[in-house]
Amino acid sequence: MSEQPVLDRDRMRELFDLRNSIVMFTGGNYTDDPYPIWHELRDQAPVHAGTPHELNGIEDDLFFHGLPFPEWPHFTAFSWTACDEAYRNDIVFASSATAVDPEYEGGLRGYESSLLTMGGAEHRRYRSLVQPSFVPAKAQWWITNWMQATVDALIDTILEEGRGELNVDFCAAIPVITITGSFGIPVHQALDVRETVSDPQKMIEFLVPIVEARRDEPADDLISVLVEAEYTDEDGKIHRLSDREIYSFATLLLAAGSGTTWKQMGITLAALLQRPDVLAAVRDDRSLLKPAIEESLRWMPTDPAFARWVAEDIDFHGTHIPRGSILHINLGAANRDPSRWDRPDEYDIYRPLKPSLAFGSGPHVCLGMHVARAEMTTGIGALLDRLPNLRLDPDAEPPSPLGFYERGVMEIPVVFDA
Amino acid sequence: MSLRIDVDRESCIGSGVCLVYAPNTFVHDDDAKAVVVDGAPDDLESIQNAVQGCPTRALRLIVEDEF
Repeated sequence: MSEQPVLDRDRMRELFDLRNSIVMFTGGNYTDDPYPIWHELRDQAPVHAGTPHELNGIEDDLFFHGLPFPEWPHFTAFSWTACDEAYRNDIVFASSATAVDPEYEGGLRGYESSLLTMGGAEHRRYRSLVQPSFVPAKAQWWITNWMQATVDALIDTILEEGRGELNVDFCAAIPVITITGSFGIPVHQALDVRETVSDPQKMIEFLVPIVEARRDEPADDLISVLVEAEYTDEDGKIHRLSDREIYSFATLLLAAGSGTTWKQMGITLAALLQRPDVLAAVRDDRSLLKPAIEESLRWMPTDPAFARWVAEDIDFHGTHIPRGSILHINLGAANRDPSRWDRPDEYDIYRPLKPSLAFGSGPHVCLGMHVARAEMTTGIGALLDRLPNLRLDPDAEPPSPLGFYERGVMEIPVVFDA
Repeated sequence: MSLRIDVDRESCIGSGVCLVYAPNTFVHDDDAKAVVVDGAPDDLESIQNAVQGCPTRALRLIVEDEF
């Protein structure tokens, strides 16, 4: 048995409730399948005026990356080519409102000066400081230090019961403990830190003593990497990250990495459990787990739309977009563009592997993509190793996707041979 | 016919996308820049996926005719 304390289940359910008030703001009560409308819209034109949710007939004011920004004109790209091009052209399609209007004061509070919103050379320089900790070769460092023990402990708690709920009791816990663990925060504080996700200032209180301690004596963790990271500027002067810059990066990482991987792991597990023959194939041949995860990322990315701020007038795939607009990249629609994938609506782990836009593209492509993949591989792999004859609970409601800007499944009730 | 893969180290941000699609052909050096493995052992389709998937277009695939 692992000695790692197990998380409080009731608190987990509260914090990771896909129908809670915060998720409601991103379209949490949306239960329709958005893809048929996305297919229709993409067939009509690669780019439309309007926000993604308006174009899907949602009348509520939703909040997400690039929303609401009511005073800016909004456009949405639907085709593979338009979405791919928008991601790669960071001169026209900038990552923050201030790149277009330096005086602009709205937007994501607390994340103004983070990797998410920087541009050009500044972004490149900061990203290059952290990128070496997020490359595929570092996956095993993340797994050994902050994933495996958590995964094992979570399975221990359900092992003897012969049944369980995998979305909140399993998938949700892994990313948050991985990230907070990499900051040097012990497991018993992980949920306290997760609670601060909408209040970056509060999270900094957890980080202050850790950053101070790592400056004195580095350890084998991510904060130590950040404390020791150096870059040389144009004049040959060596710089290190300030405490403030480290807090900003850490808060971004928790905000960007804890909810996304949780929901994507749930989507992947649900897709497999609802296809018992595919699940059996993956169990028997573990090399199929990689294509199963990549196909889930293509087929149902948890965050299907991100925004860019338009810095120059542009005629873009048949639509004129004026400077000062916001372009939403509907990567969910791009990932099912029939010009790129045959039978795009089918979850088919055997289709030829090709890049999708699940992690974005361009200079802001997801920094944590290999950590997210490692979490899903470690988590799902351990379930298949340790829970014999794992299957959906035939007496419970089957999992079904919900949400608009943050998609996931509510519950994944399973049974297995104890 | 032979293949050559060029890595533009200025554009490469070390995203690791190429290592996902052609894991036997690309590795990272200590600066997280992509480096091509001798002989580029993956099949052409995998290498093309890696090149096309590169988020900053840092990779170029050159097919050279040998006379």
